Amino acid sequence: MIEMKDFSFRYASGKRNALNNLNLTIEDGDFVGIIGNSGAGKTTLTYAINGIVPHHYKGDFYGAVTVNGLDTVDSSPEQIAAHVGSVFQDVDAQMVASMVEDELLFGLENFSVPREEIEGRVAEALEQTGISALRHRDLDTLSGGQKQKVAIAAILALRPRIILLDEPTGELDPQSSEQIYSLLARLNREHGTTIIAVEQKIGLLCRYVKKLLVLEKGEVMLHGPVREVLESSGRMEESGIHVPRIVSLHKELSGLGLVHSSAPVSMDEAETMVREALQ
Amino acid sequence: MKGVLNYIPGQTVLHRLDPRTKLILSLMICVASFLSGRVSFLIGLLALNLLLGAAGHVLPQVLRILKGMAKACAVMFILQVLFIQQGNPYFEVIGIRITDFGVRTAYMVVLRLLDATIPLSLMLMVTRLTDLSNALVVHWHLPYQYAFTITTALHFIPVFFSDMQVISEAQLARGVDFDTRNPFRRFALMAPLSVPLLVSSVKKTEQAAIAVELRGFNLRTRTSAYKVTRMAGADWAALALGAALIALSVLMNTL
Ligand SMILES: Nc1ncnc2c1ncn2[C@@H]1O[C@H](COP(=O)(O)OP(=O)(O)OP(=O)(O)O)[C@@H](O)[C@H]1O
Ligand SMILES: [Mg+2]
Repeated sequence: MIEMKDFSFRYASGKRNALNNLNLTIEDGDFVGIIGNSGAGKTTLTYAINGIVPHHYKGDFYGAVTVNGLDTVDSSPEQIAAHVGSVFQDVDAQMVASMVEDELLFGLENFSVPREEIEGRVAEALEQTGISALRHRDLDTLSGGQKQKVAIAAILALRPRIILLDEPTGELDPQSSEQIYSLLARLNREHGTTIIAVEQKIGLLCRYVKKLLVLEKGEVMLHGPVREVLESSGRMEESGIHVPRIVSLHKELSGLGLVHSSAPVSMDEAETMVREALQ
Repeated sequence: MKGVLNYIPGQTVLHRLDPRTKLILSLMICVASFLSGRVSFLIGLLALNLLLGAAGHVLPQVLRILKGMAKACAVMFILQVLFIQQGNPYFEVIGIRITDFGVRTAYMVVLRLLDATIPLSLMLMVTRLTDLSNALVVHWHLPYQYAFTITTALHFIPVFFSDMQVISEAQLARGVDFDTRNPFRRFALMAPLSVPLLVSSVKKTEQAAIAVELRGFNLRTRTSAYKVTRMAGADWAALALGAALIALSVLMNTL
């Protein structure tokens, strides 16, 4: 569980708080999508969870952030990393090895996972991400989507209870993006792994996550189950945050009195909505 | 650059040798070529280099390097021939004597240059950089942080060049011609691009440092490595070959 109490953070070189007075709880087993405009503080929020703030980026830190009971200020980044695995936006920048297998071994070796456990963990992480066939391939020869899966597998091998991803599909085509999120949804469903993902593509996000967290100028504007948050799509649009097209369509149709159901989240629901409107 | 010094995956005997063996053997070949004063030995060494390239299934790449070095070799050759004035002259033009000694020294220098460059590049073609650095850390106690810094830097060079490629292509599409022959003009065109590129590289490196820290980089010790290479029969045989080459080169000098 992640808890933030009256948490604010201002970068040492920042003019205002990048995050301002957050009170926030993320439960075990949640699948949370974080959205917000550029500069809203999404990346900083992920940094506050994995301890990069305040350990790597210094600044004014107010309030408290705890991850599975660990106070992030008092714990080392490595201690926090045992609970939270982080996947970064730039896939190439986080790769350390030249071969897939070695990329997975890196973290396992560093955290002194017992030798006899290592083979099992590597095989399992590759299996879960569906890239067992790529095990002995060189990273240079992989596509963007495959590399992203390797990055996720390298984190999975460490078996964190929480996985944090910052725009994991930023450089991927729609099909690979879809694959990454269905993979994350499966990990969440089958292993109860808590997943927190920053994402620009809100339509994609809404199809997979359980909860949405909308950030605006360093503060939480909305946080709750996808459906509830989308009820307030008007507020999001006012702030210039994209909402899924099916949700804006729903708003227009209900404005015209053509539909009375709540906003659709999936394509099936959108179809039902359109049918209702056409009747 | 690309494709010449890169690792080329494979399962040949050379690929499977211990990285330490490959490093030492290639250095031994260099030493043998520097010690030798015999043209026949140097030519034999060149043949051996090509043979090794064939054994590692990287002969085309080795030949590409040879081709790439041809110009430099030609220049070296001509300079040596013109500057060395000792020995018996073949003929003389405008006061410069072309001597037998000058010509002999010239092709010795060129052969040595080739004999010394190929083994090292060959080694990089059949050895993963991470395997090499792991072996050096585990067995030779090279501090891991240094080894990691070096391999990462080398890892970023192709990334940097491909970014550069993308940007120059974008500029090309806007009508900027980088293929100008004038080096000053070329530099003037490239310089403004390097700044944003450098900034993004620094950002990348910072993100890389953070990512690596969260994966326990600072906890790593010499004994962390899971795969530890061991010297096998083939390794000792390769080292014996290297020693024999050095002995032979010295022996041939005294004959
Ligand atoms: N290293 C830093 N030093 C100083 N200020 C920073 C730093 N990183 C971010 N900021 C500032 O903090 C605020 C939040 O930035 P953050 O990167 O968290 O936003 P974001 O929501 O991730 O944006 P984007 O969608 O562009 O990635 C911004 O005003 C930004 O300028
Ligand atoms: Mg960001």
